[in-house]
Amino acid sequence: MGKFILKRLGQMVLVLLAVSVIIFALVRITPSDPVASMTQGKSVSEETKQELREHYHLDKSAPEQYIIWVTGIFKGDLGESYQYKQSVGFLIGERIGTTMTLVLLSGVLAILIAIPVGVISAVKMNTWIDKLLSVITLIFVASPVFLTALVLMLVFALKLRWFPAIYQGNGLKEMILPAIALAMNMVALTSRITRTSMIEQLNADYIRTATAKGIPRRRVIITYALKNAMIPIITVTSIQVGSMLVGAVLVESVFAMGGLGDLLIKGIKAADYPVVQGVTLLMVFVFLCINLVVDILYAVLDPRIRMK
Amino acid sequence: MFSAFIGHGPLYKSKRKNVGKLFTPVVTVAFVLLVAILLVCILAPVVAPYDPNAQDLTQVLAKPSAAHWLGCDQTGRDIFSRIIYGGRTALVSAVMVVVISVIIGIPLGLISGYKGGLADTIIMRCCDILLSFPSLLLAFVLVAGLGRNTFNAVLALGIVYVPMLTRLTRSLTLVEKNKVYVSACVSLGYSDTRILYRHILPNCISTILVQLTLDVAYAILDLASLSFLGLGTLPPQADWGAMLDEGRSVLLMSPVQSLSAGIVIVIVVVSLNIFSDGLHQYLDQAQTALPSFRKYEKKFLKKKGGAADGKPA
Repeated sequence: MGKFILKRLGQMVLVLLAVSVIIFALVRITPSDPVASMTQGKSVSEETKQELREHYHLDKSAPEQYIIWVTGIFKGDLGESYQYKQSVGFLIGERIGTTMTLVLLSGVLAILIAIPVGVISAVKMNTWIDKLLSVITLIFVASPVFLTALVLMLVFALKLRWFPAIYQGNGLKEMILPAIALAMNMVALTSRITRTSMIEQLNADYIRTATAKGIPRRRVIITYALKNAMIPIITVTSIQVGSMLVGAVLVESVFAMGGLGDLLIKGIKAADYPVVQGVTLLMVFVFLCINLVVDILYAVLDPRIRMK
Repeated sequence: MFSAFIGHGPLYKSKRKNVGKLFTPVVTVAFVLLVAILLVCILAPVVAPYDPNAQDLTQVLAKPSAAHWLGCDQTGRDIFSRIIYGGRTALVSAVMVVVISVIIGIPLGLISGYKGGLADTIIMRCCDILLSFPSLLLAFVLVAGLGRNTFNAVLALGIVYVPMLTRLTRSLTLVEKNKVYVSACVSLGYSDTRILYRHILPNCISTILVQLTLDVAYAILDLASLSFLGLGTLPPQADWGAMLDEGRSVLLMSPVQSLSAGIVIVIVVVSLNIFSDGLHQYLDQAQTALPSFRKYEKKFLKKKGGAADGKPA
């Protein structure tokens, strides 16, 4: 087990290095002058420009800049933002709480809704309940996150006035609408997988045996079938977390939440390379960590995987 | 009734009801909707009642009326016309995204699966690295580097869709390359290119086709997301995602602008999903029993009478 984890950690470091090269190269694909975005159109003397270039290491070659960036990361320094003139680490630290709370809250919410919905559809297969749930989930699969967010905002914040429309950073109540908006897409996908996976398990021989032994239906469904149906559900959920990180960017934009997504999008629009690089790398890191945890979880849940 | 898009369970009885038919009632509805929307978008200059960018300042935020079916936006542009022209942008871009991913992804997948060895390792490692970016994030970075406009958003998404398609093509090629007809081709001295494109690819194409119809749906959603964040199509060009973004500042006063664009997106994506699922089930059956054989079988069953319920033996 320890060897397995160690091997996966080594792979992860290599992938992160490759990803850092890609991010660094991609943001610089088209040559542009970052000094222009720093000075924001004001006319500045040539000396100031030169000073700025030296300060941000822009006078050095691209490979040198890359090495400065990567060695900085190991020292906990992600560089300094062009537009905010603050360290990227500080900017991220200020905003990461909002984004992580949002993603965690909606992740938990999504699982709490999706699994019961999926199990009910599977148990009541082909009845009107199942069909109704299928239609609803299909609509949410097709609805972009920001549309769900806008509709929720229109109905519950602007019309009914139950929740505030704008997030101002005080209290969980402001987080409820954004979390639901972000969760719905994941609910739709996860419940469909739960349904398929549960139907497969419910048709297995061991379920018939358990039923024949007189074990109550409820227990057969939950402790027998659901437990075995978990692996595909976990796979889909872990992949979904990746799109939730990006979905959070969209939801933050709708509710003006000022989290990591807001930082990233403003950074892209202002050609603020250090910010874009820092936030992107952080998101990939989080995504890879979750994948690692899921891989370990597989090995714990299913001993057959450990043997390979 | 919804058998077209729900359930793949082994005991799913109604699955057999429509054997051999692509156009079940639900799939037909989806298909008709798609064709209708496509036609309206193609014929936009004829169908649209107004110029999508013409501003009529007497009609700012007008409510839906006979003259303006969906009302007007904050600069007095007709929303209905903008939806139609926006559909042009959205659908053409989405198809272009898939075309780009096909041009890059399928050859890479074929080579990777057929050749194996070093080429396979390199291509697969590259795919793994690209897939370690959570969904749209790679597109964000690409747009950050390339600049913000419709073309770059399409290019970025096209590249983002490559690794999944490459993996799919590779896995299909791996199955096909061990079949007898490939050995026959090799012994006939056909070139690798000929074997790959004239023999292996046609045998994989049905599964790939199902994936591509789904990809168009995803591309519509992802392009709308990029436009919504201001990283794709920029105003004043009409686009569904951009319209949702423009409409949110007047969400309470005139929700029609955002919601109509949103509803069209949902209709198109749901229809594409249903159609893709119908296609999947149809082609799945086609692989187990050839259509020509099934027709013969039906005739035979009818002659015998009684058992003519269309079930393949």
